Amino acid sequence: MPQLSLPPGRAGGAFFSFLPRPRGWVLGLLLASHLAGAGQPRPAQRGAVAPPSRPATITGRTTVRYAKGFTISYAGNYKVITVQSPFEPKAPAVRYLLVPRGAARPAGYPGAQVIETPLRSLVGLSSMHVALADFLEADDLVVGVGSFKYVSAARVRQRIAAGQVYEVGQGKELNNELLVAHHPDLVMTTGWPGEGADYFQTLRAAGIPVLINSEWVETTPLARAEWVKVLAALLNKEDLVNQKFDAVAREYQRLAALAQRAPRRPGVVVGLPFKDVWYVPDADSYMAQFLRDAGATYHWDHTKAPSGSLALSFEAVAPVALTAEYWLQTGSLTTKAALLAQDARYAAFAPVKAGRVFNNNRRTNAQGSNDYWESGAMHPDLILADLLRILHPKLLPTGPLSYYQALR
Amino acid sequence: MTPAPFAPPALEPAAHRGPRLGRGLVGLVAVVGLAFVLDVALGPVRIPLPTVARLLLGHGAAADAATDFIVHQIRLPKALTALVAGSGLAVSGLQMQTLFRNPLAGPSALGLTAGAGLGVALVMLAGGNVASALAVRQLGLAGSWTLVLAATAGAALVMALVLALAARVRDNVVLLIVGLMVASVTGAIVSLWQYFSAPEQIQEYLLWTFGALGGVTGPHLAVLATVVGAGIGLALASAKPLNALLLGENYARSLGLPVRRSRTLIILSTSLLAGSVTAFCGPIGFVGLAVPHLTRALLGTADHRILLPGACLLGAALVLGCDCLAQLPGSQLTLPINVVTSLLGAPVVLWVVLRRPRRSAA
Repeated sequence: MPQLSLPPGRAGGAFFSFLPRPRGWVLGLLLASHLAGAGQPRPAQRGAVAPPSRPATITGRTTVRYAKGFTISYAGNYKVITVQSPFEPKAPAVRYLLVPRGAARPAGYPGAQVIETPLRSLVGLSSMHVALADFLEADDLVVGVGSFKYVSAARVRQRIAAGQVYEVGQGKELNNELLVAHHPDLVMTTGWPGEGADYFQTLRAAGIPVLINSEWVETTPLARAEWVKVLAALLNKEDLVNQKFDAVAREYQRLAALAQRAPRRPGVVVGLPFKDVWYVPDADSYMAQFLRDAGATYHWDHTKAPSGSLALSFEAVAPVALTAEYWLQTGSLTTKAALLAQDARYAAFAPVKAGRVFNNNRRTNAQGSNDYWESGAMHPDLILADLLRILHPKLLPTGPLSYYQALR
Repeated sequence: MTPAPFAPPALEPAAHRGPRLGRGLVGLVAVVGLAFVLDVALGPVRIPLPTVARLLLGHGAAADAATDFIVHQIRLPKALTALVAGSGLAVSGLQMQTLFRNPLAGPSALGLTAGAGLGVALVMLAGGNVASALAVRQLGLAGSWTLVLAATAGAALVMALVLALAARVRDNVVLLIVGLMVASVTGAIVSLWQYFSAPEQIQEYLLWTFGALGGVTGPHLAVLATVVGAGIGLALASAKPLNALLLGENYARSLGLPVRRSRTLIILSTSLLAGSVTAFCGPIGFVGLAVPHLTRALLGTADHRILLPGACLLGAALVLGCDCLAQLPGSQLTLPINVVTSLLGAPVVLWVVLRRPRRSAA
């Protein structure tokens, strides 16, 4: 099904609220959303459990290097997070004041929401938000999620099994009563910056801060992953995030540099059409950036669309698919037979003939939720390594793929 | 019998108007042919008309594989689907308008499309049942038969329900409201299923609801054409009963018409047509509602022996034309067919409603 360039975050948050509106790009989002998911338990990456509370002073600082959608600034004993839409530079930014628990609200900043730090509990409506907590070794922070189905992180799944997590739904089905009753320290949601102001009035009136995470508007994989710094600032875990995120960024840059030394750039087609429509990532999507960094030739590398994906007719993509070398991200399919059963015409595409169809659903769990959209959002380095192993088999030592698998 | 707001023009002896009607039908055939060629010739990828004509006539292969693939594997199946879907929907709409003696009857207005959607949702969502989900995702031949069967059954169920209520409720407006309510209830059931289904399945269903003529190829197209062919055959066989029904059931009965049996056949035909087209192409709005009116206006007759083939041709031409419009010139984008037919069809319905203002008081 359609393309995968849109992050699950948007999809997750927007899905139900947009359900009745037949807008093309929604499909892409839907797609992305259901691919959100979990998977096999990841290698243990947690050390000792962090002390439950930290001093109410700022211990470390972090700076934003890649992301354009938010800023973090430090002043006195508090921090200011500003969330802005890169698409709408004129739209008012949303500000959050991160104040040590019990401290007075700083003067100024009219209209800003106050969030007390360090955060003790988090409700994340999208699986991407679960990934943020998992990356920061703060799985125990997660007390509520949008839907149990889309959680992959092993530790959070355990918490769900133990009944320590509640399910709040999304969009119009958001269970405000449940949220008000539990009163979490923060609800993290997806959406456009500013949109939440009216949408979450009930929660705000109940004194529950709502933070809009619009990582999905970022145009590069590293920028998306960098949104983890927002949660790190809320947890006073700047030191940890600097260390872990920098490691991811360094590895990503190393792999990207390696890919540029590849002798040739194979042609790639992305996504799965549905009947007449084939959603492909546009030039500004992080998927297009992945393909650039992986040393691929991508036909729509210079075509921009406001929604991050292009809704093309099947006929417009078919000539490219006929001659491409690789076909990536074919919806939820895992076998060539299923692919051809959906549309026998795919058999004419060169990647199908050559057996070079790869899907990003290796880590799909029993609920059908795909960890690519969860932990994958925090590990662009692993995804890029996968792409390198697929597109340039000689560049990296042979090894298992993390998120991708060949269609059998 | 209460007076029906839908008063058909009197049946005239066919001998009077034979030549003119014949010419009208021949003209429609020519229009369908033209629309068909135009639909194959137009598309996001520019292909010169001579090349298209050459490929359509089967003279030699195209210069490159892509052109050949586009014409034979994409545009030709799509145009054929438009042809089949257009005729099927138009004929089903015509039969419903006559059966219910209601100018606003049509597959979507009376909930038939919703019923078919219920059938499709049953197959596609099926509460996450692995076996049935697999059957749809791997729409093999067996899968597509399942889908057609479910959609037809759903449409027939709604049709039978509406008809049963129609026997008790003589007011056409009430009947329409009943149809809308049935559609509303089936819609709610589908929503409920969606709510509890995996997003991937919802997505598949949601994409289906946008309506699309593309992607129906090979064996699927054969299944669709067979079922629609059978439905139209049944309809043509019911032309005489339909003519009699125009004058009311009592009158038809007095003519010695086996009303019950004719009714069953007409319901079957209508459900097959609306069900199969909806199963494969999704809901395509307003064709079933608008084309019968256009056909009556164009051919100036109420004789179903002429109207049925006329609606068949006009429906095909209309959907082919809409598909041409759906391919925005100079764009790589195709609009969902449902959007275009609705944009064109809604004014027709308005015209139908507004041209008979006096009767609403009756």
